[in-house]
Amino acid sequence: MPSNPSMSAAIVAAAESDKIGYIEEGTTALNLHIEAIRNVCAEAGVSPSEIDGVFSTNNSNLLAEYLGIHPKYIDTTAVGGCSFQMHVHHAMAAINAGIIDLAVVSHGEAGYSSRKNQGKGTLGGGGGDPWLPAAQFGGGPYGAWGPPSYYAHALTRHMHQYGSTKEDFANIAVVTREWAGLNPRAVMHSKETNPRGGPITVEDVLESRMIVWPLNILDICLVTDHGGAVLISSAEKARSFKTSPVWIAGAGESQSHADMLEMDDFTATSAHASSQAAYRMAGMGPGDMEMAMIYDSFTVTAGITAEMLGLTARGEGPSLWADGNASPGGKLPVNTNGGGLSFSHSGMYGMMLLVEAYRQLSGTAEDGVHGIEGKQTNAQSAVVNGTGGLLSVTGTLVLTSDV
Amino acid sequence: MAEYNKSIPSPDPYVTQPFWDGAKEGKLMLPRCTTCNRAHWYPRILCPHCHSSNIEWFEASGEGFIHTYAVQNRAFGGWADETPYATAYIDLKEGDRMFTALRGVNAEDPTSIKIGARVKIEFEQASEDVFVPYWRVVD
Repeated sequence: MPSNPSMSAAIVAAAESDKIGYIEEGTTALNLHIEAIRNVCAEAGVSPSEIDGVFSTNNSNLLAEYLGIHPKYIDTTAVGGCSFQMHVHHAMAAINAGIIDLAVVSHGEAGYSSRKNQGKGTLGGGGGDPWLPAAQFGGGPYGAWGPPSYYAHALTRHMHQYGSTKEDFANIAVVTREWAGLNPRAVMHSKETNPRGGPITVEDVLESRMIVWPLNILDICLVTDHGGAVLISSAEKARSFKTSPVWIAGAGESQSHADMLEMDDFTATSAHASSQAAYRMAGMGPGDMEMAMIYDSFTVTAGITAEMLGLTARGEGPSLWADGNASPGGKLPVNTNGGGLSFSHSGMYGMMLLVEAYRQLSGTAEDGVHGIEGKQTNAQSAVVNGTGGLLSVTGTLVLTSDV
Repeated sequence: MAEYNKSIPSPDPYVTQPFWDGAKEGKLMLPRCTTCNRAHWYPRILCPHCHSSNIEWFEASGEGFIHTYAVQNRAFGGWADETPYATAYIDLKEGDRMFTALRGVNAEDPTSIKIGARVKIEFEQASEDVFVPYWRVVD
């Protein structure tokens, strides 16, 4: 039973940017944020390094990157002027839950200067801000057009550092396609669902169209339309529904960067930190997991994440899929819906991971059609990892069931 | 000057201008914190290592090494004319890392490009005031 969060947190300092009002020499929203954070830390006598939760409208990940910190709680609630009251509420809840100790709620908005700057330096809003560091020095000036342009660099580095091969990663796509074959709703289930559907081989992956070397098109997820939702209930009411509960045994989140320009180790993500937090909360470890749902925007995302989740040794991520281990009937089923690679991926795949994990653990994963072997497993525990941005941000859940 | 048909960065006059001023003169200017004496990239008003606001600019060597790379077989706008071309993250001799498109490599043969290869910076004029940094393999 969670405790009442009342009185569980307090505001301990408050500060402003160096200048406020009509700043005639001009400024940017990002500078205003950073000045305010520096000043409030100075006032409280703490280092920004001690902040483990960042709350702001939209830009919390960028603020963390800029400060060179790696918070355990990242909130970007952006609902207009009242957002900051809500951030305080959320921060209190996170603190009450024992997830973080020190949160910063930050605001920076160049309402006056943005006119002089012709809309630049505003930190966002759809069209982006050409003065953001990544806009000046990231991929844009060099023709990088989307996630594949960036993720490919991680695969090159992994192969260099660990001697892994394109074949190793291609096998992830092959095994994931096997699961799609058990899911009649998977885009690539069969030739009936898509002319390019049905089983594939490692050679098929290697011979498919090269998009950004070393990523072939079959190393890359689908781009689909998709909607999904889950309901979360309190524990005490969790058994009052017609459906079975799947318990949130553990949860964790972290980030390592916003733009790949600041990715320290191209063969590692914050899924190590976020999964460690989730395992710790659950009192379980990777060896206790009976299945895994691993974000597979690219084969390299899945391969590296397998390492970060502790399911393989460093440098050996693709081995999780080797020898039929992650295949239907294997000892650790992985991406049982057919993954972002072969089931569906609308851009933000996290919901699809959740829906499949719920179905598997509640015993409602469909059993296939026309005599096809079903994809339902016997798993009663799952690690579910989402990766966002450019291998930037991760969230990991440990889910369990007692059915 | 030949027309530069690719995306041109927008220098930010509040933080990054010294870099762009240096680029115009063919120099790589980097920010360095005078409290902890470490360089950083991208430019900031706060040192990401020690959180000091004491930042100075200095002229760097313009030398580095390929940390990792990829070959862009698909691109848009002016870059579409250059495919396939190689992009890379460069480990700067002074520390930290920049992104770039590589010059002096054969992108048709991706495995001919080597992680760890030595590179030097050069600048291509994109507009009257903006010179875009590129790195050339010199090994």
